[in-house]
Amino acid sequence: MFFFRSHGRMKAAYRGDETTGFQSPAQDHIEGVPDLAAFLDLRRPQRFAVRVKGDGLRQRGIHSGDILVVNTDGEPASGKVCVAFLHGDVVLAVLTEKDGVWWLEPSSQMPQPVSDDVEVWAMIAALVRTEV
Amino acid sequence: MFGLIDGNSFYVACERAFDPRLVGKPVIVLSNNDGCAIARSDEAKALGVKMGEVWHLSKRKPDFRSVIAKSSNYALYGDMSRRMFEVLTEEFSRVEPYSIDEMFVDLTAFARTDYCRRVRARVRREVKIPTCVGIGPTKTLAKLANKRAKREKSLGGVCDLSDETARHEAFRAMPISEVWGVGGASQTKLNALGVFTVEEFAAMPSSAVRKLMTVVGQRTHAELNGEPCMEMTLAPSEKQTVSVTRMFGRPVETWNDMREALAAHSARAAEKVRKHGLVATGVQVFIHTHPHSGEPWYHGQRAFGIEPTSNSFAIIRQVMAAGRAIWRPGLRYAKAGVILLDLKEVQDLPRDLLPTIDPVRSERLMSALDGLNARFGRGTVRPGGIRQITTWSTRASNVSPRYTTRISDLMEVRAD
Repeated sequence: MFFFRSHGRMKAAYRGDETTGFQSPAQDHIEGVPDLAAFLDLRRPQRFAVRVKGDGLRQRGIHSGDILVVNTDGEPASGKVCVAFLHGDVVLAVLTEKDGVWWLEPSSQMPQPVSDDVEVWAMIAALVRTEV
Repeated sequence: MFGLIDGNSFYVACERAFDPRLVGKPVIVLSNNDGCAIARSDEAKALGVKMGEVWHLSKRKPDFRSVIAKSSNYALYGDMSRRMFEVLTEEFSRVEPYSIDEMFVDLTAFARTDYCRRVRARVRREVKIPTCVGIGPTKTLAKLANKRAKREKSLGGVCDLSDETARHEAFRAMPISEVWGVGGASQTKLNALGVFTVEEFAAMPSSAVRKLMTVVGQRTHAELNGEPCMEMTLAPSEKQTVSVTRMFGRPVETWNDMREALAAHSARAAEKVRKHGLVATGVQVFIHTHPHSGEPWYHGQRAFGIEPTSNSFAIIRQVMAAGRAIWRPGLRYAKAGVILLDLKEVQDLPRDLLPTIDPVRSERLMSALDGLNARFGRGTVRPGGIRQITTWSTRASNVSPRYTTRISDLMEVRAD
């Protein structure tokens, strides 16, 4: 059941079901709003939400302030965007494969080969933007 | 066969999962109130930081200048523990969350060392937590194997003590203090009998162990010899009491601050009781000054029965009355606690002829309160008299964001 604050008092909200005069024909069909956490599968243990800072990947449709939903078990593929730990920074980078070697291409730094001190943290799966 | 999967320096690992600047550095996590070290990275252990090290006394030591001390962030650790558990349920038919960082799993004949290494790599990659795995025919042996896997890096994070010959080989070099459930008092008694290693302990006759360490020690002894006495437990045991006790961030000197602290503790305790669908039939309240500060020692305590309830307001009212009675002015209080006793299922209670609390209204109001706090974060809706930021609240000067549970706290990813 949902509640909201009104004139300083807690009240049960009307959900389209319980009416005072005519019985609501919808009362057995109330569904509520879609659950975005479920839709984005945020409870999956391999899913994390992160926040983008910076506009370096605008050409890939990723803006500063966006929330990215990422998979730590996502399959790496050439051309995909990932979250990486790079020399103490958390960065967004494009993964590419050239002649069997994997490279990370952050928007503001030189491409780096994926090695022990470069960790691919997760692959991007979805994007949430609240201001369009 | 049992497996015990245990996060290495779990709290530190949770912090490092979202902060690469902590990787490879000496990092510790402090207890509630930034008191003492409760988790240490390998680098911090190498510098000589001890478990339980009182940090405000030790931090100025020259050796410890490079140590990064984080306040504990249990919202984060709890969620990471959940993730670890859920990944394990994808690999094993049964998983028992024994503590926040230790999970027992059911191992089949096929799932041994190599399999466990793969699971370990998976947990590391997907949940960002490095682990060690111990394997044994009993829980006690799995726990012992896990300790060995932690200590001997050459084992690649997995130690299998399922084979009896391998086991006896390993026992020879292990002091009895390594065994789960053998405490300081038992060690002294065993040492007096000339028993120092696990090998010597396992070879004792069962009756002698029982005489020395009661039936609990006998069980440990049997488990060490490969005879299972403890099964997988998939649901936590029925709770008898719920306690909320906290050290204060700084000494509490006014009744107003104490009142707020007790109200907050009561509300939190009542919430926990409701979560288990139980009601409390008794309450214990205590407040005390610092035992080692040289200031006057005072410990006030009350325990009494109440009308069965899980209603925050009813419990707060009772706790306030008791708190007022044990409050002595002019003292500097260090800690307060509220313990709800004799928890019962509602249907087990005798029907009260004249309840003073309307159960239906109370139930509705409390579920509204819990619902809002669950949706919008703890403390969104509070009984009157509990402020959000208070002088008594626990000190946490270097707490990390709640990366996985709050939209405002998500890990920032740079794209510049």
